[in-house]
Amino acid sequence: MLVLDRVGKTYPNGVHALGGVSLEVELGEIVALIGGSGCGKSTLLRAVAGLDPASEGTVMLDGERIGAPHEKIGIIFQEPRLLPWLKVSDNVGFGLGDRPKAERAERVITALRRVGLADKAGVWPRELSGGQAQRVAIARALVPRPEVLLLDEPFSALDAFTRTDLQDHLLDLWTDAKPTLILVTHDVDEAIVLADRIMVMWPRPGRIFDEIAVDLPRPRDRQSAAFDFVKRRVLTALDHSLNRTPPNTALEQRAEAGAAMWW
Amino acid sequence: MTIAAEGSLAQERSVGSRRSRFMRPALGLLLPVTLALVWEIVVRRGWASGRLAPPPSVIFSTFVDLARTGELQRDALVTLSRVAAGFGLGAVVATVVGAASGYSPTLRRLLDPSLQALRAIPSIAWIPLFILWLGIFEASKVTLIAFGVFFPVYLGLMGAIQSVDRKLVEVGRAFRLSDLEMVRRILLPAVLPAYVISLRAGLGLGWMFVVAAELMGASEGLGYLLIDGQQLGKPAEIVAAIVAFAIVGKATDWLIVLAAAPFLRWEDVVQHD
Repeated sequence: MLVLDRVGKTYPNGVHALGGVSLEVELGEIVALIGGSGCGKSTLLRAVAGLDPASEGTVMLDGERIGAPHEKIGIIFQEPRLLPWLKVSDNVGFGLGDRPKAERAERVITALRRVGLADKAGVWPRELSGGQAQRVAIARALVPRPEVLLLDEPFSALDAFTRTDLQDHLLDLWTDAKPTLILVTHDVDEAIVLADRIMVMWPRPGRIFDEIAVDLPRPRDRQSAAFDFVKRRVLTALDHSLNRTPPNTALEQRAEAGAAMWW
Repeated sequence: MTIAAEGSLAQERSVGSRRSRFMRPALGLLLPVTLALVWEIVVRRGWASGRLAPPPSVIFSTFVDLARTGELQRDALVTLSRVAAGFGLGAVVATVVGAASGYSPTLRRLLDPSLQALRAIPSIAWIPLFILWLGIFEASKVTLIAFGVFFPVYLGLMGAIQSVDRKLVEVGRAFRLSDLEMVRRILLPAVLPAYVISLRAGLGLGWMFVVAAELMGASEGLGYLLIDGQQLGKPAEIVAAIVAFAIVGKATDWLIVLAAAPFLRWEDVVQHD
């Protein structure tokens, strides 16, 4: 289990990015963090990843304190960040440096098949499209079989069609080993399609404003009424979080009528 | 676009590139060859004396004469070995110091100011000092060349390491690479293109310094040929030596490019050489 206890982050320049976030994530759960810019969602993710450790509070995974990158935690960024001097197969196998060659080769080709890019194994990263590169990045992150996978707006740089494609693909990949997923996104649809729980954050400093459970069975139909209902709930919460007013019935009613303005 | 049309377009492109691969070096030779021809004609027609600026035919025959006696090869080899020794020494030291300064801010703050101050001194100014310290034979020449090679390589490598994409370094951190692994698996490959360029720049400077060193006192070498041609009033010999410099210098540069090419295939550039 991943436990965040009053995690806060103040940067050396004085910016108070995170103001005490507490969260418990069960193994195999998918949690989405959503909110406007400046609400600290990426900061929180990077604190869990150990890349920018928190200045207050603790992050614990299975009782072990996380203060630096950990082998059980993988991360995928907004850009694929493939190493351009390595072919696709070498990129995918990057995290397996200490394994015997045969095992590495086998796990790499399995991962590439899983993301549908087995034919691109010997190709340079510069020859891949954006969607393909991101799929290779996902394969690279999943190959070491992490317990927790962090995703920092992984599909925001892609076009809408590729995005929905990769969301479904990610869900498919997730069913293999069911790692815990923590996804940062500004795409509400993406959060609802993927997550068990959606944490709406509000900014300055970043805190959790609301928690919305998505109890729909997977695979989730983006066109269904139930999906729409959850979406309206999330949009309302986002709206409120930006106005920084606590939810009250009058506002709720206005929002239900479809007047919530996210963008 | 239909598949057939796409296929023919691809074919056109490959034929075009085959043609252009032949055209590229041919185009590079157009200017010098034209100028040489023009000068040859001008001297033959008697419009210019061709004494101080010999026409290509005279230069060529001087070249052949020097080669026949073996003098050209011997001088070229001597100069080449000086450049090789100086380049080897300068490049190795520059790589070590440049890599260290690039990676460690403390070391950089310690060393860089002094090195930048040394770099600002005009290179030729060092010759009298080196001759005094190291004599007029090989040691002072090789040291001077090494000195010249050092700065471009040091600067290039240090700058390249500092400019490595932070995003890629983070990938290394996310995969928990040790300091040594970080340098070996991420920093060094990332700086390789810039490093090769700095080596070529260093080599170019090495050739410049060997001329300076040989002009100051040598009994063999291409630089010696220059002085010899000047003292004996043989401009053709001077130009022949210059041509030899150009040929051997270009050949050494081409060797670096050739050696580095397989390690740079991954680069996302507009065009590979």
